[in-house]
Amino acid sequence: MMRVINKKMVALTLFVILATACEAPDQKIFDEIDRDFALSSTDPTVLASFAASAYTPLNGTWGAHNSLWSLHEVSSDEMAITQKGADWEDGGQWIRVHRHQYQPTEESINNGWAYCYSAIGNINNLLKSFGSNAILRANFEVLRAMIYLWLIDAYGNVPIITEETTDSTPPTVPRAQVYAFIESSVVNNLDKLEKARTYATVNYYVGQAILAKLYLNAQVYTGTAQWQKAADACQAIISSGVYSLEPNFFNNFVTRNSGSVENIFVLNYDENNAGGFNLPQMTLHYASQATFNLQQQPWNGYSTLEEFYNSFNSADSRINSFLVGPQFSSDGKRLEDLSAEPNDPDGPPLTFTPQINMLAPNAFRQSGARVGKWEFRLGAGPNLSNDYPIFRYSDILLMRAEALWRINNASAEALSLVNQVRARSWPGNPIAALTADELLAERGREMFAEGYRRQDLIRFGRFNQAWWEKPASAATKNIFPIPQAQRLSNPDLQQNPGY
Amino acid sequence: MNQFYLFTRRCLAIVLMLGSLVAVAQQRTVTGKVTSADDNSPVPGVNILEKGTSNGTATDANGNYTISVGPNATLVFTFVGFATKEEAVGARSVIDVSLTSDVTALSEIVVTGYGTQEKKEITSAVASLKEKDFNQGNVTTPGQLIQGKVAGLSIVRPGGDPNQSPTFRLRGISTFGANTAPLIVLDGVVGASLDNVDPNDIQSIDVLKDGSAAAIYGARGSSGVIMVTTKSGKAGRGTYTNVDYNGFVTFDQVANNITVLSPQEFVARGGQDFGSSTNWFNELTQNATSQTHNISLTGASGNTTYRAAVNFRDNQGIVKGVDFQRLNTRLQVTQQALDGKLRFDASLAYNTRSQESINMAAFRYAVIYNPTAPIFDPATENNPNDQFGGYFQRPLFDFFNPVALARQQQFLGERRNSLANFRVEYDIVENLTASVNYAEDREAGWDGSYWSKQDFNFGIGGDGVARRTTFDNINRLLEGTLKYSKSFNKLNADFLLGAATQKRGSEGFGVQVNRFLFDVTGFNQLAFASNRAPSNLTEVYSFKNENILNSAFARINLNHSNTYFLSASVRSESFSGFGQDEKTGVFPAASAGVQLTELFDMGPVSNLKFRVSYGVTGNLPPAANLALATFAPGQIIDFDGDPLTLDDTYVSLRQARDPNPTLKWETKKEFNVGFDFGLFNNRLTGSMEYYTRNIDDLLFGINIPAGAPNPFGAKAEDGSPLSNVAGFAWANIGSLQAGGFEFIASYNDIKLGPVSWTPTVNFTIYQRTQIKSFSVGDLGISEIRLATPGSPGQNNNPIIWNRPGETLGNMYGPRYQGIDENGRYVLSTDNVDEWEVVGNGLPLGEGGLLNTFTYKNWDLNFFLRAVWGHTLYNSYRGFYENRDPASNTWNSVTTSKTPYVTQSPTFSSLFVEDASFIRLDNMSIGYNIPVKSAYLSRARVYFAGQNLFTITNYTGIDPEVRYNDTENGDTFTSNLAPGLERRNTYFTTRSLTFGVTLNFK
Repeated sequence: MMRVINKKMVALTLFVILATACEAPDQKIFDEIDRDFALSSTDPTVLASFAASAYTPLNGTWGAHNSLWSLHEVSSDEMAITQKGADWEDGGQWIRVHRHQYQPTEESINNGWAYCYSAIGNINNLLKSFGSNAILRANFEVLRAMIYLWLIDAYGNVPIITEETTDSTPPTVPRAQVYAFIESSVVNNLDKLEKARTYATVNYYVGQAILAKLYLNAQVYTGTAQWQKAADACQAIISSGVYSLEPNFFNNFVTRNSGSVENIFVLNYDENNAGGFNLPQMTLHYASQATFNLQQQPWNGYSTLEEFYNSFNSADSRINSFLVGPQFSSDGKRLEDLSAEPNDPDGPPLTFTPQINMLAPNAFRQSGARVGKWEFRLGAGPNLSNDYPIFRYSDILLMRAEALWRINNASAEALSLVNQVRARSWPGNPIAALTADELLAERGREMFAEGYRRQDLIRFGRFNQAWWEKPASAATKNIFPIPQAQRLSNPDLQQNPGY
Repeated sequence: MNQFYLFTRRCLAIVLMLGSLVAVAQQRTVTGKVTSADDNSPVPGVNILEKGTSNGTATDANGNYTISVGPNATLVFTFVGFATKEEAVGARSVIDVSLTSDVTALSEIVVTGYGTQEKKEITSAVASLKEKDFNQGNVTTPGQLIQGKVAGLSIVRPGGDPNQSPTFRLRGISTFGANTAPLIVLDGVVGASLDNVDPNDIQSIDVLKDGSAAAIYGARGSSGVIMVTTKSGKAGRGTYTNVDYNGFVTFDQVANNITVLSPQEFVARGGQDFGSSTNWFNELTQNATSQTHNISLTGASGNTTYRAAVNFRDNQGIVKGVDFQRLNTRLQVTQQALDGKLRFDASLAYNTRSQESINMAAFRYAVIYNPTAPIFDPATENNPNDQFGGYFQRPLFDFFNPVALARQQQFLGERRNSLANFRVEYDIVENLTASVNYAEDREAGWDGSYWSKQDFNFGIGGDGVARRTTFDNINRLLEGTLKYSKSFNKLNADFLLGAATQKRGSEGFGVQVNRFLFDVTGFNQLAFASNRAPSNLTEVYSFKNENILNSAFARINLNHSNTYFLSASVRSESFSGFGQDEKTGVFPAASAGVQLTELFDMGPVSNLKFRVSYGVTGNLPPAANLALATFAPGQIIDFDGDPLTLDDTYVSLRQARDPNPTLKWETKKEFNVGFDFGLFNNRLTGSMEYYTRNIDDLLFGINIPAGAPNPFGAKAEDGSPLSNVAGFAWANIGSLQAGGFEFIASYNDIKLGPVSWTPTVNFTIYQRTQIKSFSVGDLGISEIRLATPGSPGQNNNPIIWNRPGETLGNMYGPRYQGIDENGRYVLSTDNVDEWEVVGNGLPLGEGGLLNTFTYKNWDLNFFLRAVWGHTLYNSYRGFYENRDPASNTWNSVTTSKTPYVTQSPTFSSLFVEDASFIRLDNMSIGYNIPVKSAYLSRARVYFAGQNLFTITNYTGIDPEVRYNDTENGDTFTSNLAPGLERRNTYFTTRSLTFGVTLNFK
């Protein structure tokens, strides 16, 4: 009897203990914040933080190597990444991009896509949460339109994904449809946007700038030109008087450029809080670390094509957008490249020559003018604090000039606008009469390394021509292929023609 | 609060159990002597058990015993190597017994999940290794004890880094989501860390290889289970105390090196002449000396048995600046009460380990740094204010003085492991035993790093950078089981019923700061850094996570007249980290066996058992929060863009991941057939296994369309689908298939005159893991390309392509066809799309041959291990054997396979080498010194060598299999990229060990 009781007691005890000791297997979170909890907050700071978080993914990789920026620059006639022996061979990606032989598998092509759509997904989620606020909705939709502007320009036919999309593999739609979506997203929201200068956020003028870019390239995007609409959008910014040219061109590109009255919309980079603008690493020579006391050794990648460098006059202060000639350490010592190629005429003393001996495979390590348009602060880390202008007032002036010139080659206003921009940096040398060559060259000098050269070359019908180390290319190369990696995860993406 | 509840409940259990006990006994005493029937010599250490009870004792050194028994007792005498004998006591008070020798190993006890079984009853694929089977020498981790000894269990530790834990793969790669390593069960503590135990304290290691054996551990059994049993005091031997000492000294030297050009050859090739001559490799390495001491106290007194052990290890690496010191203590006490019906078992282990390491990149520079460069720059050597501390440095791409790198960067760390394990067992009635087990396994530690102000590689840019991180891991297990045995005529049945709850957590924090005035305080005083604000070089973070796993399990083992065997089990588990409706999984298993020699007279075949088994196991995801939509800290937002104003900055909220609320168990279904055989009265024994395994619902991270709606139905608060932000999510996607054949045989005690020889051979033939698919429905990917060779210049094209329908880890590249007259490669193609399979890093087979010789007091062991069929990408050759001008910065590696190429390095089949090898892993010679002492029972000296020679055609550092890619920090993709020998590989080590073992009584 006793044994039976024991048996039952112990077995029962065991069962009870284990049953009650088991916690329900609910997942607790300690170091992240529950989504619903965060979104239920009414703290204005939290709301402001959410609103600002629409912009944070944009810093990301725009100004980093292997980005959309890299693609726009290296596929144009203003920049190349030469192959220095084994260094920068990188599977031949940058040779292919320079020669317009890019493949759907290029890492940069996938990076650019993922960068844009990740930001769009983020905005779509914010719209689901804050879309009932009309002002926030307008801001988010216009910001999203700007990202679609980058997509339509680079890839042409892309899926339109909004907060209302339910298809988890949204299909590509024709470029003209994307164009219409961008246009309506901005036009429908313009009147809800702030009509005053804001910093690194969307306002009425940013909306107009998006429209200006869209209309200026409408012929490329849809086959139908919209020159007058482009001119009008620019005029809306010009006539507001909110923005003006900085007296010194380089004020727009210094480390602390948030005071620029010319920059309309910038990516708000910060070396500590918002990294991703890696220009010193990308363009400078290894030994240049000592010139700027950089925290990390640069990679010796991007340089300018000689012919493009030569389109700058030595009297034009914008020629200081390049680093050329003998290089020195911050304390004035001549730098040396101890591994300079034996056949490099400059020898070990480090000298950036505009002339480049070849694109690949054995470009001299010191050859090519480097990008010096943005200030490299002494002691800079791999990330710059300089904000990156997406829309700049001088670009608006040049865009209006171009639109007016397209309508009427003899437009006096067009000529005067171009000369207004030119006179700031190259006084006393106005253009007498506008031609396509003059306009493109002026845009080249003003907008070098700002990621617009490819777009300009396409619009001027020059992108498929041959240039240094680049043969003539097919018109299908005017849009990049849909990245292979994206087509693998979304089978409803149609590959662009020619790939 | 929670811990308190667990504690009180545990206490309650014990109290209730104690309170419900009764003890009744009538005892008498029996004495006797046990001798060997062969030569009538006394046999010490024979276990004597009163049948049907846990009452027992053991013979002393003279073979004598004394035991108190109840009425109608039967005594069972067992000893390894002798046939078990039973004697009914009847009215006798003196029972002398003569045991006949028996070479069968059938009575061997195998530790299975939640209990032990005799080997003859085992119906699944289980390998059992005792202390005598372990590898000898400077074995620092438990895994090394059994390296090469278990067919199908691959244990690799490429290179010779004493701080690196070995990688385990049981039966190849069958998963890669989270746990590719087998589950460790240490003295019954599921999921305990092997860092808790010193190899000296291990009594046996049992490996549950197939799905049926592992299924009792359900959700975590997919990569197999390794049961580690530590030494303990022996019950039933009366009062005794043994003191054991084992100490050894090990001398390590570099076993393999990469050949490079001499300074003269380097200059002749066109390399820059800095006018000096330095053998960088020798500067970085040393002959190392390590020592290990182990003292243990084992004994019994009354109803108490105990063992206390302390281990100290001081290990030096062959690379200067790499070492560790470890102190390992363990106390185990078992108390019996109520006639042995109640057993209380407590074990406590506490270990500390401090270690020092260097930047692994120093290995690369030690090979390729300019051999004409001096260590110190003559121009600045004596300048106390030199920016590089006097070291020779030049601002060239990827060019760092390896000696400076090793000395000017500091990486220290400490680990503290503790494992407390309490178990109460109570025999409620005869054959019904209840047990409750509570274990708490903690690991805490810190790591500190400092990069000097003069460190050209990194520290100089930050004016000195310090980093310090700490972490605490905890694993709490509460488990209860009921075991019941019953005999029905010829049928013996064992039942097991159990439940468990396990909570695992991890937390920690880290800080990195920079800008120091002095290097001397390093990471010890972070406040000497002026820059502690957020920046490129600074960081502040903390983390904490926790997950819960609840389990219930049951098993039945049937044995019909030692002829027919059947086992079936089921485990159900609920894991907090899966989707809301997918938390629970059920893992069944069944196995059966038949002993054919019981059915037929098979002549010389003394044992032939046929087994078949099937089991389902699971796998956990790599983190427990993958199903949840949460916000993580994002970028800091400066509302006005002006870095000077700080009162307007906030951290933005970043969607932490693209969640998958349907995430569930990965399952592996494994079928195993096997034979155990014995011939010639079991002098020749062995077994063979064939298995095939199918893995479905593979837990796997995949790309999903960024921006698009969540494909798994994750909802925003308005009910609409959440948009993808990361473009990456974990999902149950894909299937794998693998199989293999395993064989092990041993011929016991072949007499060669006075010498006795026991050879043991084992081998495994793998059917490499096949990828069946990477998709489910609309979702999925057609292939995964991983692992670029790296910088310089080979950053873009991944060389390992995992494609459905193909073998996991296939290496793709152009085929090398020669070089042309200009010294340029002739490759099969320039088009990546036309690359072909040029190798695979997974082995086709591996095997081991152990030979044990004994002659009088001498014994000799040597163990040869072979692995074949795998390739390795030799990255030193892949980057540094070419003679193109751009490579003049670096020294060139020269091997028998190096052609004279003048263009820059390009990946091709040229660098993918067959890495099959045979290695003399281990050899030892021991001598048992004859002792006649009242105190000393055994004295032994031995001499052991490890990694004595390797036969291979591979020209890199170590032909050992690389199961994962050391340059890929992401564990799951790392497991998909086998076969890469990276340039940061630690040089291999050859070790010679001299040791002494003393046993005091």
